[in-house]
Amino acid sequence: MSYLIASSLEEALTSLRDGSGKARAVAGATDLYLQEMPYGLVDLSFLKETTVIEEKEGLMSLGAAVTHALAASSPLVLSRARALAEGCAAIGSPQIRNIGTIGGNVINAAPAADAAVALVGLGAKAELVDINRETRTEAVENLYWTHNRSLVDSSKEIMVRFLIKPCLAGEGSAFTRFAARRALALPMVNAAARVKLEKGFVKEVRLVAAPARPAPTRLLKTEELVIGRPVNGETISMVEKAVAEEIEVRGSLLRCSARYRQHLVGVLVASALKTAATRAGTSGKAGD
Amino acid sequence: MILKAPEKNIRRYGKAEGTGYQSPEVWSKVTGKAVYGIDLNLPGMLYGKILRSPYPHARIKKVDTTAAEALPGVRAVLTGAKLESKPFGIAVEDELPLAVDRVRYIGDEVAAVAAVDLQTAVQAIKAIKVEYEELPAVCDPAEALQEGAPQLHDNFPGNVAWQRELVRGSPGDAFTGADLVVEENFTVPAIHQAYLEPISCVAVDDPYTGITLHTALQSPDAVRKIVAGVLNYPLSKVHVSGPVMGGGFGGRVYGNLKVYILSALLAIKSGSPVKIQLTREEEFTAGRPMIAAAIQMKMTVRRDGTILGREADIITDNGAYSAQAPWVSKTVSERNDSVYRIPSIKTRVRLAYTNKIPTGQYRAYGNQAANFATESLIDMAAKKLGLDPLEMRLKNCVREGDITVHGLQIGKCGLDECLKAAAKEIGWDQKKEGRGYGLSVAIHANGSLVFDKNFRGASALARLELDGRITIFTGEQDYGQGTHAAFAQIAARTLDVSPAQVTVESKETKTAPFSTGALAMRQTTIGGKAIQLAAEDLREKIFKTAAELAGAPVTMENGVMCSISGQELALAEVAYYNHSATSGLSMTGEGKFVPEESDYDESGYGNISIAYSYAAHAVEVELDKTTGALTVHRLVAAHDSGRIINHLTARGQIYGGVAQGIGMSCLEGYLFDEGRVANASLAEYKIPTALDLPEIVPIFIEIEDPAGPYGSKGLGEIVMVPVLGAVANAAADAAGVRVTGLPLSAEIIYQAISGWECEQ
Repeated sequence: MSYLIASSLEEALTSLRDGSGKARAVAGATDLYLQEMPYGLVDLSFLKETTVIEEKEGLMSLGAAVTHALAASSPLVLSRARALAEGCAAIGSPQIRNIGTIGGNVINAAPAADAAVALVGLGAKAELVDINRETRTEAVENLYWTHNRSLVDSSKEIMVRFLIKPCLAGEGSAFTRFAARRALALPMVNAAARVKLEKGFVKEVRLVAAPARPAPTRLLKTEELVIGRPVNGETISMVEKAVAEEIEVRGSLLRCSARYRQHLVGVLVASALKTAATRAGTSGKAGD
Repeated sequence: MILKAPEKNIRRYGKAEGTGYQSPEVWSKVTGKAVYGIDLNLPGMLYGKILRSPYPHARIKKVDTTAAEALPGVRAVLTGAKLESKPFGIAVEDELPLAVDRVRYIGDEVAAVAAVDLQTAVQAIKAIKVEYEELPAVCDPAEALQEGAPQLHDNFPGNVAWQRELVRGSPGDAFTGADLVVEENFTVPAIHQAYLEPISCVAVDDPYTGITLHTALQSPDAVRKIVAGVLNYPLSKVHVSGPVMGGGFGGRVYGNLKVYILSALLAIKSGSPVKIQLTREEEFTAGRPMIAAAIQMKMTVRRDGTILGREADIITDNGAYSAQAPWVSKTVSERNDSVYRIPSIKTRVRLAYTNKIPTGQYRAYGNQAANFATESLIDMAAKKLGLDPLEMRLKNCVREGDITVHGLQIGKCGLDECLKAAAKEIGWDQKKEGRGYGLSVAIHANGSLVFDKNFRGASALARLELDGRITIFTGEQDYGQGTHAAFAQIAARTLDVSPAQVTVESKETKTAPFSTGALAMRQTTIGGKAIQLAAEDLREKIFKTAAELAGAPVTMENGVMCSISGQELALAEVAYYNHSATSGLSMTGEGKFVPEESDYDESGYGNISIAYSYAAHAVEVELDKTTGALTVHRLVAAHDSGRIINHLTARGQIYGGVAQGIGMSCLEGYLFDEGRVANASLAEYKIPTALDLPEIVPIFIEIEDPAGPYGSKGLGEIVMVPVLGAVANAAADAAGVRVTGLPLSAEIIYQAISGWECEQ
């Protein structure tokens, strides 16, 4: 077995190519210990490209190897992409958050990964480069193949960074989750919302919930219903109902029944929307 | 040898009450120096591994170990067919070291191997071929008791492992024409003790000394008796040497007998030390969790709130083998009856065999399961009668001088004060809007003669070392509760020295007095009393020898003796004088505490303990009605455990026990999928994290009880008992409806609020 701490993106890509499918890119690798170890590991945790958090030309850039702890406490993430900070703060334990990364959270492809749900809620796009130096940019929700399987092949491709439109004046985001225990527990449901208000009415909105399908699920029909409305009690009740109708969830012995999860998903999406709208309203008034 | 008198200005630590003395043992733990079972590694040690049944119920047709035995590095392979063993057990003899012709649960031990390393042992286990013929299984205890159910044991017809029917007073009359009858069905799932360190054992077979089991146990003597019986070894040839214990909570009273027996058998067969270390998954699938219980209970109450009688029909789920489940079932069925003045009771309890993990004991021995049922009924009755739950409890709770319905003699008792103190501290009269409040009370015995009517007490030795220090030899175990600190304080107070001058030795059965061990909340009261008596005996001997040395009578203070002529003598001087005068004997005090015989009779009526501890808990919760999520904000734990010897460790007991009570109330419980444990990991069997716990406020009502040493009583188990009833009552207060199945998960509460049909 070999373990390379890559000192440049170039070196990482070369190592992957030399590994001919047997080496794998990692950042954090907290869940890898639960699986069978690949022959070679290429650690991306210390690259400039994968660890940067910055806002340039109206776009936020977050390295894929940014740890959950860093994302949860970054002033930029807290002010411009609050849902991600909240999602990252909810993951596992402090030890996991200090090691695990947001890119890993997406490529690990668990259906209700907290950072991934927040990223989809924010409308994040991932920038990837493969061993032939070809780059592509994809919406995060389009990177899922099936349950717990990513479309990103870590033996051939490296996720470099996420690009997120920052929440500016009149915009807000929020993340919610519900689990049996307050830490170290997979969620029964998690949800994220991003909303833009204009004169108190919803101009743009993204609503996302999980676990339902392999990828965090956008609630397009509910989003449509919300457009043009104020986020008041009536809208919140309407969202609770609409979400439960739009999304189909399953029950499990370990987590909860399908019926209860169906109820929760409505409550959580509505709650995320409400918080996001409050933040949007506040940021507008404060001239943030 | 040059003798040096100890420092004269020793701080007066000796007083038992009120100190926060920390035993130096704590430092070896927090600095990582303590050696736990998991750390043990002896020269030439082999690694043992157990092959377990993948079926809940099956006939073993054939076990082929040829391939396993041929593997390089494999030193011993055991199968049930090759062992000539009689059934053994703790309460009921229904187990064999390895299954011979039948397996009865997923996890049942089928074969065992020892190999030079763990990897080889795992390979060898995989190489053993077993042919099974699946048999119909029964996993629900009520179904198991029905006619036509698959039978688990030929000599336990009807799948009844143990049962009891009991009538005291006149329950029939009590229920006739009653003002109010409240009735409900309560369920409590099986609960794992979730100690941090999984059980392990290194067994050594030595032709001269016999078998030594290097394993941490709460009751080493009880275990070595059983192991000696199974191995057919003389008792004096089976020893237990205890490393530091990574948590017990009742789960290590008898621990995992299969692990000790199989590691010993493998050591005998291979001629080398053998270590078996359970994995966490094995702990959850083949450990000994506490029984699940279904309690159907009704209570009759007069209009003024006076309890007139209660009836219960209880089914407890034994799993495939019994361990301590009969005794735990007995506690579930009766202990809680003695916390109130209930004149009449009628009880039926049946312990049913099912094709699931065998069960054992957990902190509080099932008293907490009964607390959940009884205390829920009390609040239901109070609500229907329009009475204050606090007033109803104060009206009915036992008081000094009472003899309870089961014959328990209530001595010093501060239950009334506990209730008032807990209610006051939680703000019972100034309840906050939007919060729910609940109360609950408990009684728990300080040692019980139910196990052995003839062996009721404890003994100890106190030895004066040549340097003037004191060593206490006891069979009472410390696994983090702080028993050794308390023992050092008791001895120190008796001998008028600092507790830091006292070392407590308990881990070697070769040298420790025989003991019942750490169970039934007996150690401080009964074991501590024996230590007090041993220290008193030693003190007498010291005085006598010191007077001989000084040529005049002496008095002692702060470990320094003074003769009437003013001559000062250090303990070390006296020790050395005796040492020379006897050519090497140590001065040793013997303490034997033998409680009086009891009137405890065949029907189980009578006083089972020399003293009882009492508690009242009050809880404040908040409920999110949109999800059913319950937040326990605050828990006040008021306890009468007599005079507290060490407030630091006593508070620690309350924090830990309440945390486990919160876990059992809100989170924990085995989930089964047709006999398979579905949540066999700490990721899915959810014990509370620090974030899930409320603010915990301990209150001590210190009423000295002459039964225990310096007025003290036990605390370790009762701390958990009232949590369940108090949380359930607070949840019901907040929700407006009552949940009668544990744990009180958000989903179950939400179902109750919404009036959903249960979907379990």
